[in-house]
Amino acid sequence: VTQTVTAPAHVAPPGRMARFRDSALEASRGTPGRMRLVSAGLVILCLLLGLAGEQAFRATRGSLDRAAANAAQVVRLGELQISLVSADADATNAFLVGGLEPAEQRAHYDAAAQRAAELVAQAARAQPADVQALAALNTAIQAYTGQIELARANNRQGLPVGAQYLRNASSGLRTDALPLLESLTAANQQRVQTEFTHARQAWIALTGVGLLALAGLVLASIWLARRTHRYLNLPLVGAGVVILVTLIAGAVGLLTLGGSVGSVRDGPYTDVQALSEARVEAFDAKANESLTLISRGSGAAFEKAWQVSSATTTRLVEPYPVIKTQWAEYVSAHRAIRALDDSGRWDRAVAAATSRADNSANAKFDAFDDSTSRALTQSAAATDRDLQSAGAWLSLATWLAVAAGLLASLLSWWGLAQRLEEYR
Amino acid sequence: MSAFRAVAATFTAFTVAALGACRSSGYDATPLPKASASATASPSASAATPAVTCANAVQSYTPPSAVPTNLSGYPTVDKIRTRGRLIVGGSATSMLLAARNPISGQIEGFDVDLARQVAKAIFGDPDKIERRVVTTADRIPVLQDGSVDLVISAMTMTCDRWQQVAFSAEYYRAGQKVLVPLGSKATSLDDLGGQRVCAPGGSTSLDKLKTFPDVKFVTAATHTGCLVKFQQGEADAITGDDTVLAGLAAQDPYAKVVGDAFTSEPYGIGVPAGSKDLVRYVNAVLAKTISDGAWKASYNHWLAPALGPAPTPPTPVYGR
Repeated sequence: VTQTVTAPAHVAPPGRMARFRDSALEASRGTPGRMRLVSAGLVILCLLLGLAGEQAFRATRGSLDRAAANAAQVVRLGELQISLVSADADATNAFLVGGLEPAEQRAHYDAAAQRAAELVAQAARAQPADVQALAALNTAIQAYTGQIELARANNRQGLPVGAQYLRNASSGLRTDALPLLESLTAANQQRVQTEFTHARQAWIALTGVGLLALAGLVLASIWLARRTHRYLNLPLVGAGVVILVTLIAGAVGLLTLGGSVGSVRDGPYTDVQALSEARVEAFDAKANESLTLISRGSGAAFEKAWQVSSATTTRLVEPYPVIKTQWAEYVSAHRAIRALDDSGRWDRAVAAATSRADNSANAKFDAFDDSTSRALTQSAAATDRDLQSAGAWLSLATWLAVAAGLLASLLSWWGLAQRLEEYR
Repeated sequence: MSAFRAVAATFTAFTVAALGACRSSGYDATPLPKASASATASPSASAATPAVTCANAVQSYTPPSAVPTNLSGYPTVDKIRTRGRLIVGGSATSMLLAARNPISGQIEGFDVDLARQVAKAIFGDPDKIERRVVTTADRIPVLQDGSVDLVISAMTMTCDRWQQVAFSAEYYRAGQKVLVPLGSKATSLDDLGGQRVCAPGGSTSLDKLKTFPDVKFVTAATHTGCLVKFQQGEADAITGDDTVLAGLAAQDPYAKVVGDAFTSEPYGIGVPAGSKDLVRYVNAVLAKTISDGAWKASYNHWLAPALGPAPTPPTPVYGR
């Protein structure tokens, strides 16, 4: 059956590559040659199936981890925005009262500004793709705190220009820093959704690849049956069973996981998004309350901004009865402050807005702050926990997929080796 | 043979699919928001409108001989008395004229004293005032929409503005000067060619500044906004009325007001155009304030340290 190919005498002796090619050509001649090719193809096909399974499980694991990390980044950015806005509310309120700012308020401002700086560093470490935007944000924050220090230095000397520095700082924060934060939050929310989609679609890739492997095996069996007139090759059937089991178990596992991811997305993660946004909007409304008063009669734009933020918060906290009530109480306290200011009693409006007594607007806002903060922490922890538990089996599945690929390729090689034996 | 081809094709498709599954986990960089076109767009910096001619910009409506106590002919004043407070628009940052004292939190100055005189005449209580803080460019709009009764805010009486609002009789004669850094040799806008000079949007100072084509102009919402730009190196000088500049120089020991006044700025109290009765009432209060020495006392308290002892108050011109 084998033929020898001899090189013509006048040609120089063939190199190693040429010799390899020649022997490969020789090995693929005729039916046994083809069998060797089919055997090699099936072995590689099964190994690739193992690798594809490993890839699918590992990528899903990665998607879940990244979804959790991105969700944490969304929460972190929300807290960062709140730190900045509440630092600004502190600074604005201090100027509203007149005189030196109370030491407690100054300490609160300092803590909020420090927290913002820490969160920028943490956010930059958590997501390299955010670094450029965070660097721009850092610049804006530095400009803001610098202007606030100038405002303080001037205020300390009793110079009215201090109030102008405060106004510039506050408007700079709103035109430079907050749009950056909104862009960052939107990008990270988008990333969470992308990873959720990937995790939910992983079964499609695995099923597609598995069906291709199965088709390869079936076609090879048919070809082999026609050539050898033997219809049952047990090792090849075994390989088929291994592939089928891998395919079904993997697809079912990933489909179930997709369902769990869907419940996280529609459950705790929806709460994370709603509460985080509600808090950001609420703190912005609070800062606008002070800015309306400090503008003294020309703050209509700030009150309008308050109404927009307040409406958004009201809509977002609708599903949470306790928080909803707390927010409604703050809203009515704010209305009372506006009523005082609008009827010309600015001094009393300021007193009401800056009071820290029980039942004051500040006390009501603090109650809202406390419960939203607690609820947000719980939802963020639940998101993380549920995503981790949904993918707990993926590490084991990764190794099993590799083992299944190896087993199927061994069986395929064995099955074709039995037939090749018959040609010796 | 065809089965063999099919096996080969399956193999190729499989490889492509397997490679496709290897997805990169890197994200695109978070986009930066687009920079807004202009952060400091002044609301209505009037582009040097052609001067409307009128016989006399300082001419106001004739007041009664004394501040009236019976308000039967003064419906606007009666409405204010019924309301219980006088709503006055003005600055909160113009030191010496109307600025919030950072220590007490109260707004005080020469313009504020005048408002207190009007409130005292209407209510017998100078404290019955609601102050609305308005920017330079918003002084006319708040009078036009009726959200304030009066604007007392270093407002120059011009024929242009008479088209939109009414004015009381002149209560002070200021003049435009320049404020420069301590070491500067400049004494007028002519010496500031190529430099950036700041004036508030919607002010007569800005209109005048625009007539010096060699000087680059920078705007802010108020004169104090100009001082911030001056201190942060965004403006080389500030131009405005001597009264306003005196208040700015008092806050910055590295600034000085130089040269002679190169314009004449008669200040009037702004009143909504339709309220002629209120103008006549305010003019009566103004005449009394000047005659009983309150005007001079207020001037000496606020402006004399920066501008020298009180000049003779302007002689009111009536008959409009």
